[in-house]
Amino acid sequence: MENQTRFDLNAAIENWRQELAAQPNLASDDRRELETHLRDAIAGFQQRGLNDEESFWLARRRAGQPQQLGEEFVKAKPAKVWRERVFWMVLAGLVVNLWTNLVTCIPLHSWTSGFWGLLSAYAYLLLIYLPIVGSAIFLAKGQLNNHYDTLAAIGHSRWRFATIGIVSIVVTHGSQTLIEFINLNQRQILFPGMPHVISSQFLYRFCVNEFSYFGWPLMLVMLATWLMPMQYPKTPKRA
Amino acid sequence: MLTKDLVAASSKPLLLSILAGGESYGYEIIQKVRELSGGHIEWSDGMLYPVLHRLERDGLIDSEWKEADTGRERKYYFLSSDGRKAIKTERQQWLAVHNTLCKLWKIKPASI
Repeated sequence: MENQTRFDLNAAIENWRQELAAQPNLASDDRRELETHLRDAIAGFQQRGLNDEESFWLARRRAGQPQQLGEEFVKAKPAKVWRERVFWMVLAGLVVNLWTNLVTCIPLHSWTSGFWGLLSAYAYLLLIYLPIVGSAIFLAKGQLNNHYDTLAAIGHSRWRFATIGIVSIVVTHGSQTLIEFINLNQRQILFPGMPHVISSQFLYRFCVNEFSYFGWPLMLVMLATWLMPMQYPKTPKRA
Repeated sequence: MLTKDLVAASSKPLLLSILAGGESYGYEIIQKVRELSGGHIEWSDGMLYPVLHRLERDGLIDSEWKEADTGRERKYYFLSSDGRKAIKTERQQWLAVHNTLCKLWKIKPASI
């Protein structure tokens, strides 16, 4: 008896979306437009009596190979594609910066020497780099595409993106600053003979120094907000 | 079927003229061109969207994401005021070519 598997149209479209996502020349807006087109074409074939599988393969063939589509699209707007590439680079830089600061808030650095010191150093490295490398691998394999809607919700508007970015900086860098401040106080308690560390001059320098840490990620947020590809462009005036 | 060069050259006046009749989206435009040309002009998706984007970049058309009857969002294109002016120029140029060819082939030319 012939072994038949049921054709899953949504899964097939999802696979096609992943193939498109692998094309660096296609911006998110282009991919969204092509997907809408594919769905329209599938609906058109279905109305003519074709089944899901036939409709999908015909629509896909008419759309062309993802690589060819990428090559055609880049001819129309090379600058836009590069703008989006730089946006993702800046966003990746920001996420790595925030994640690194968040991890350093974990009080593993109380062990500073010997076996435990070495262990805590390795633990830090693993905590910092393992999720980053893991995310990069998942992203390359297209396994994070299901979370695209969440990302799209964050980037729904420039205001929302900037607000989320600034709040993330305040939370991660603020926590780090607070922990460093507590550590300074603890050092004073543990070593009462020490000169008075938290003088007004020191506190001033500490605040200026800490504030400068906000500068770099803040600049990345501003840059990413400016470069952000708009999902829902403003409606222009009609003729 | 038209040659690749002729398809590329005629895409601008065809798109502008289709959009002069009202806003439209990629799939509908392709269907309309196929229907009007009696199947002689077959546009691929890979060819259509870069042309639409180039016309948009040149300010001849504009676009807007809108919810379609299906509930999904679709990108609709429509003509800008510069696009309306561009149609007149395109029309004059294409009719000039058409009339010249008609005279050469001794066919009654269309009126401008």
